[in-house]
Amino acid sequence: MNASLFKSAYIAIFLIAATMKVSAQNLKFLIPDNAIVQFAGSIGYFSVGAGYDLFKNKRGILDFNYGYVPASKGGELNIVTAKIAYRVYEIKLKEWGKFYPFIPGLFLSYTFHPELSYRFNRNRYHPDYYHWSEAMRPHLSIANEIEFNGEKLLKGSGIKAVSVYTELNTNDYYLINYFQNTSELNLGDIFKLGIGLRLKF
Amino acid sequence: MRVFVAPIMIAVMGFSSCNSFEYSPNQTFDRNSYRDINAGNLKRLGDGRNDDTVRFILTGDTQRSRDETVRFTKKINEMPGIDFVVVAGDITEFGVLQEMEWISRSLAKLKPPYVAVIGNHDLTSRGRDAFTTMFGPLNYSFIYGGIKFVCHDTNSREHKFNGQTPDIPWLKAEMQPQEGVSNYVAISHVAPNSDDFDQALIKGYTDNFAAVPGFLASLHAHAHNYQLFYPDDSGIPYYITSSMGNEEFLLVEIINHKASFERIPF
Repeated sequence: MNASLFKSAYIAIFLIAATMKVSAQNLKFLIPDNAIVQFAGSIGYFSVGAGYDLFKNKRGILDFNYGYVPASKGGELNIVTAKIAYRVYEIKLKEWGKFYPFIPGLFLSYTFHPELSYRFNRNRYHPDYYHWSEAMRPHLSIANEIEFNGEKLLKGSGIKAVSVYTELNTNDYYLINYFQNTSELNLGDIFKLGIGLRLKF
Repeated sequence: MRVFVAPIMIAVMGFSSCNSFEYSPNQTFDRNSYRDINAGNLKRLGDGRNDDTVRFILTGDTQRSRDETVRFTKKINEMPGIDFVVVAGDITEFGVLQEMEWISRSLAKLKPPYVAVIGNHDLTSRGRDAFTTMFGPLNYSFIYGGIKFVCHDTNSREHKFNGQTPDIPWLKAEMQPQEGVSNYVAISHVAPNSDDFDQALIKGYTDNFAAVPGFLASLHAHAHNYQLFYPDDSGIPYYITSSMGNEEFLLVEIINHKASFERIPF
């Protein structure tokens, strides 16, 4: 049941993505615009993903990632993530690139592990007993990104641009702990770091 | 350029924390996480062979109460003659590593050694593994000043009422007469007057304690409010301490085989 719920959520996100790209005449909109590799960032020791550029200005981000945490790093976990974000500012760096200093975003992660349930068993727990989901986690993120113009630097490779981003994220667990304990916890405690590489086709 | 100040500040805060790379909130350890806190602290505590006045603190339910934990730590450090502190479960709200690390960071400032006992919230998600790595086994015991403290898991609901939580055969074995031990104290999270305690095991549990010569008290948390009750006519008191968030703990003093209990607000 958990899997089917998750699947329908995923399909819904795909549909939203699809409506954003109605200009595409056929199923071309399904072909990702970006390939992503990310280290850490709470969605895997390493994760790989496919990204879509949203809006005419291509500053919207829709990413789908799969991440893995090996047992030796505190796993074993398999994690899928859907992320939306927006590059609020764009600063041109001469000919060779762009800098996006502020990219706020939201993402949902779902962690597959036998001990993590989508919802606590209602036969054993009253709905108020534990009111959160162990497997599904909402996150808030803030990132910045430096983009290098591929046509200048990687002539003929078919890669339009290569970018490196750093992202800080937190989640509902950490925010609840933070807001109830602002003297003991600081933002550095609750925001977790990830770094990634994005190839734009 | 002012608009960039906030995100850059947040980025700096992120980088300045040495532990910022996170693989998942559900990872059970990381490079910097504490290991085997209970064993380390018990080694520091020693056996108290020459201590004829055993004084310890019972607290619990530190979940989401870090600010209170800091004040608690200060209060305990001002009290003279405290041998050790027991945190009787629900260290965390969500059973995640990060919460265990945050609370351990605060409790590390305690002058007396402390031990942690597993609570129901600590068993959600992958909390069992995180707790075992960071603190140690769910059932364990130690002897101090001729008293055996038997810490154990009574979170029956999280074990699906499997009939083995609490582990009564283990408790019986731990409370066999033993040289150098004249008294026993049981410490666990969920008290046997709770719906979360396996109803089929209540009698076996309390009867077992009643049959142990020199058994002084059964100590708990979980309910968040102070309670004293007597489930049978053995005269054994069952105490529940107020939660950390309710800013009260229990001081237990054992002198000459007699235990006394004092509620202390902070």
